Amino acid sequence: MNSPFRVIGKSFPRLDARGKVSGKAIYGTDFAMQGMLHGKLVHSTIASGEILSVEIEEALAMPGVYEVVTAADIPAQRYGSFVKDMEVFASKRVNFVGQPVAAVVARTAEEAEAAAKAVRVEYKEQAAVFTTEDAVKADAPLVHPGWQEYKAVPTVKRQGNITNQARLVLGDVDKALKKSDRVFTHRFVTNIVHPGYTEPRAAIAHWADGKQLHVWSNTQLPFEAQATLAEIFKITPSQVRVNVTVIGGGFGGKLRLGVEHYAAAAALKVGRPVKFVSSCEEEMTAALPRQPLVIDLTTGVTKEGKILAKAASILVDTGATSGSGVGVASSVMLMLAGPYKIPNLRLESRSVYTNKTPTGSFRAPAGPQGNFAVESQMDIIADALGIDPLEFRLRNIVREGDLAPNGQKLESVSLEECLLKAADAIGWKDRRPEPGRGKGIACAWWTTTSGSSGVYVKVGPDGQVFLNTGCAEIGTAALTGAAQVLAEALGVELGSIQIVSGDTASTPFDYGAQGSRTAFAVGNACIDAVGKLHQRMKEIAAKQLSAKPEEIEIENGVAKFGDKSLTLKEIAAIAQTSQGGLIAHGTFIAPPTLHDKERTENMVITAINSPSFHAHAVDLSVDAETGEVKIHDYVVVQDVGRAINPTYIEGQIEGGVVQGIGQALSEEIVYENGIVRNPGLTDYKMPTAMDAPNIRSFIVESPSKVGPYGAKGVGEPPVIHPPATIANAIASAVSARIQTLPITAEKIVRTLTEVSETGK
Amino acid sequence: MKLEFLAPQTLQDAVTMAKARGGAARFIAGGTDLIIQARKSGAWPEAVINLQQIPGFGEIKGTGPNFSLGSLVTHRQIEREIRFAGALEALRESACVIGGHQVRNVATVGGNLCNASPAADMVPILLCLNAEVALAGSEGRRVVPLANFIEGPRKTVRASDEVMTEIAFAAPAQKFSSTFLKGGRRRAMEISIVAMAGVVSASPDGKMTDVRLAMGAAGPKAIRLTEAEKFLEGKVLSKDVLEETGMLAAAAASPIDDVRASASFRRHLAGVYARRVVELSWNRISELNDDRSAA
Repeated sequence: MNSPFRVIGKSFPRLDARGKVSGKAIYGTDFAMQGMLHGKLVHSTIASGEILSVEIEEALAMPGVYEVVTAADIPAQRYGSFVKDMEVFASKRVNFVGQPVAAVVARTAEEAEAAAKAVRVEYKEQAAVFTTEDAVKADAPLVHPGWQEYKAVPTVKRQGNITNQARLVLGDVDKALKKSDRVFTHRFVTNIVHPGYTEPRAAIAHWADGKQLHVWSNTQLPFEAQATLAEIFKITPSQVRVNVTVIGGGFGGKLRLGVEHYAAAAALKVGRPVKFVSSCEEEMTAALPRQPLVIDLTTGVTKEGKILAKAASILVDTGATSGSGVGVASSVMLMLAGPYKIPNLRLESRSVYTNKTPTGSFRAPAGPQGNFAVESQMDIIADALGIDPLEFRLRNIVREGDLAPNGQKLESVSLEECLLKAADAIGWKDRRPEPGRGKGIACAWWTTTSGSSGVYVKVGPDGQVFLNTGCAEIGTAALTGAAQVLAEALGVELGSIQIVSGDTASTPFDYGAQGSRTAFAVGNACIDAVGKLHQRMKEIAAKQLSAKPEEIEIENGVAKFGDKSLTLKEIAAIAQTSQGGLIAHGTFIAPPTLHDKERTENMVITAINSPSFHAHAVDLSVDAETGEVKIHDYVVVQDVGRAINPTYIEGQIEGGVVQGIGQALSEEIVYENGIVRNPGLTDYKMPTAMDAPNIRSFIVESPSKVGPYGAKGVGEPPVIHPPATIANAIASAVSARIQTLPITAEKIVRTLTEVSETGK
Repeated sequence: MKLEFLAPQTLQDAVTMAKARGGAARFIAGGTDLIIQARKSGAWPEAVINLQQIPGFGEIKGTGPNFSLGSLVTHRQIEREIRFAGALEALRESACVIGGHQVRNVATVGGNLCNASPAADMVPILLCLNAEVALAGSEGRRVVPLANFIEGPRKTVRASDEVMTEIAFAAPAQKFSSTFLKGGRRRAMEISIVAMAGVVSASPDGKMTDVRLAMGAAGPKAIRLTEAEKFLEGKVLSKDVLEETGMLAAAAASPIDDVRASASFRRHLAGVYARRVVELSWNRISELNDDRSAA
C-alpha cells in the first residue's frame, strides 16, 4: 500500500536510542554535582499516631553527617492535587508506615542511611484503619483528624475519611432493574500494584543564594514539579528551575513529586546540592502505587442480552493521602459503564483514606480496576444467558454517533472492528479447544488526556531542526513520534531533528508526559509551529525571490516561486543573519469534549477525550491441580487513530500487556496491620521475561479529528484489559471465576476445590 | 560500615583467616544470598573471605556412577552439564530454575547448600542422591551426609572456619531416572513454595525400586519422604499408587503460612508434585531406554 506520508507511519529508530544503548544517557540516578551530599529519609514505623519527639542528636554525631532535616525546617504548607492533605515531612502526626518524618544529609548515601537509623522518633500510637469498608464507617478512626482545615478543589464533597463522593446518573435504574429479566450483582476487588519502573525516583536539588531552587530529577512533569515545589517553599514558580534527566520509566509513578521536595528541603538547610534516590524498599512502601478498589456492580439485562441498567457502588482506597485517587473515583465510573449503550445508570463512587501507602496515577488510572469488574461481569452474564460473550458484547457496544454514559457524542468508533479482529485472531470459534484450555476476550475505551502543549521549533543555518518541548521523554519514544509529526509537516527527514526537552527555564510549558498525550499533544503543537514557520518562510522567500508571500508555495521544506526556489536551510541561514533566526512557538490545547453535565455529580474527570477503542483476547491453559496458568497466545487489537511509529506502538502494547499480566496474575503489595509484608522485588512478583507470552499486536487506524494526522492516545490502553481478559479465559478453561486480583494459583485451586465440593 | 575483604589463594589460608576472626568473618562465593541478607538485615559480617581465587573447587568430576561437584561449581555449570542430561536430569532441572541468568552465572552449589534455606532448590535432588559434603577446617577434614549437614532454616553443622570443598554422590545402580518440579508464582527469580525431587529405579521385573523422594520449602528443612519411598518400593505405577504417594507426601509436609503461599496450599502442592515426580520419573526411565535402543 502506498502511504501518502514520508515520515509518519514508519518504524524509524527512536532519536534517543544511541545514548541509551551505549550507556551514555545520564539518568536521574547517574546525575551528580560537585560538592553534592546525599540524603536518606527517616520513615514512620507506625500506621497512625502523634509525633511526641524527634531526637536527632545521636544521628548528628555520626560520621559524615551534616544535618538532619525535619518539618520544623520548612514552611508549614500542605499540598495535593485535589485535596491539600500532603506534607513533606510529617509535622504533628503520621498516617502510614513509611511516611517520611525526617531526612539525614551526609557525605555518602551509606553514612546517611546509617544515621537515619539513629534518629529516634517517639510516637503516641492511635487507632488506624486499613480497609475502605472500615474507613467509611461512622465511628471509624480519622486518618486525617484535621481534614476540615485542608483546602480542596470546590468539586469534591468530603466527609471524614471520604475525600470525594461522586455520582454518574442517567435514567431510572430502579425501574429498569425491575423491568429486567435477570439482575446480576457481583463484587470485584482489585490489588495494589506498583508502577514497576526500572529506575527508582531520584533528584538533586541546589539553592542559589537561598532563593533560586534548581532541581534535576527523573520527573514526568517538570512544570508540575516546579509549581508544587514553589507552593511548598512559598516562592514563585519562576524561582524554581526543574531539569528532567533521562528517565528509566515512569508509568505515571513519577507524575507527582518523588524525592525532589526532600532534596530541596535538605539542600536549603545544608547550603549544598543534595541527592536523594529511593531505595527498593522505599519504592514498595512509600511510592505511588495503583489504588485498590472494591466494586459492587449490579447489571440488569433482558433475556435477549440487552443491558437495561447498571448500578455500582465503588470504594477507592487512596491510602494515607487522596492524591490522584479522587480522579480515579471519577474516571472509574466512565470505565464501569464501559463502552456500552446503557440507558439507565446509577454509579456511585467514593475515594477514601486508609492508613496505608499513598497512591498515585499508575498508567491508565482506574482503567484495569474498572475493566476487570465490568468485563468479568459481562462474561458471567453472557454465560448465564447462554449467549456467546463476544455476541453479548456486540449486542451492547457503542457505535459511531452513539452517546457515551456522560452524554458525549462518540466519533471514530472502531470497537466492533477491534472485537471482531481480536476474536478472529485468537480463534474465538473454538473457545474451549481442550480440557483445561480456554479463551477470553475483553474490550475498553480510553481517553487521550488534554492539557496544553507548547513547542519552540528552531531551524539552524545547516537545516538542523530543534524541537524544544517542555514535555519529558519517559521511555515510550513518544517524543520521537512528535518529531516524526514535525518532520512530516515541515518536510524534512527525521534524522535532521534534535529534541531538547524538559527544562522549565528554557522550554515552553507542556502539561507533560501523562495520559497517553505526548505524541498527540506535542505533535499537534509541532504542526501549529510548522504553520507559523511556513508563514515566516514565505515572507523571507518572497523578499528573496521578488514575490508576494502568498505567491510562495512550500513543498517538502522548499519555498517555490515559479522556477525559483529556496530550501529550508537557505531560508534559515538568511533568517539567522537578518532576523534572529527561524523559530516558531507552536501551541496546542485540545478542544473541550462536550458532554451532559446533568449526569455527573462531583466528578473531577467527566469526559473521555478523543477516545480510543481496543480489544484483547487470550488463549491459555490452567493446570487445575497446581493452579498454574500458561498463556499460549495473547492478541491485542488497538485503535490508535494513526500509527505514527508502528514499532513503538507495538512496544507500548507489549509492555502494557506484560504489566497487565502482572496485575492479573502475580503482583500485589501485601499489608498486615499497615506494614508491607513484601517490600522487595523478591516477593513483589513482577513478571520476568520467562513469564511474558507471545503477544500479537494488530493496529486499527480510525482517525480522530483532533490528533496529529488522526492519531489517538496509545500508551495507557494496553495495561487496561489483561486482568479481565485473563480472568475470563481462566473461567472458560476451568470454571473458576476469580473476582479478586491477583488471580494466584492458590486462588484458582481453592476456587476449583470449592466448586467440586459444593458441586456448584 | 567497614567490611574487610579477604582473598586467600589457598584453602589453608582461607581456613586460617576464618579461624583468626572467630565467627566474625563469612566465606563468600557468588554472594547472591550473603549480600542480600546482609543488606536486608543490616547485619554485615566484619569480614568476608572470598573463596573464588582458590583453585580446584570449580569443576564437576566423574563419569558415573560416582560424581563430585566442587563447591564453587555454579548453577549455570550444572544446568549445562551434559553428563547430567538423561537420567540425572533433575540436577539440571533444579539448577536452571534458581534465580535468573545473572544469579546462576555466579551463584555456587556450595553456597546454596551452606545457606541452608528451606527453599534451596539444589537440596532435594542432592538428598535423593544421598550426597555427602566434604568440609575442611582448622580441625581437619570431614565428610558429612547432606541430610545431616543441614539442621534447620539457615542452620548447618559447619563450623565458622570450615569451608565446603566438595559434594559427592553416586548414581543408582539400576535403570533409573530423575525429576525436579517446583511451584511458584513465576517462571524465574522465584523462591519455591514447594520443591520436589525424585529418583526412581526400575527393577528387572518392571517394578519401581529404590525410589527416593525429597521435598523442599514445605518445612524447616528439605526432607526425604521416607514413608512414601517405603510405600513405593516394589510397586507398579497406578492411579491408586500415585494417590497414596501424594497423600503420604502431603502428610509429611510441615509448611508455614507466609506472603508467598498458605500452609494448606503448600501441603496440597506437595501431594500434587510428589505424584507428578514419581510418574514423570517412571515414564522417563522407559523414554531413556527407548532412546538408547533407537540409537
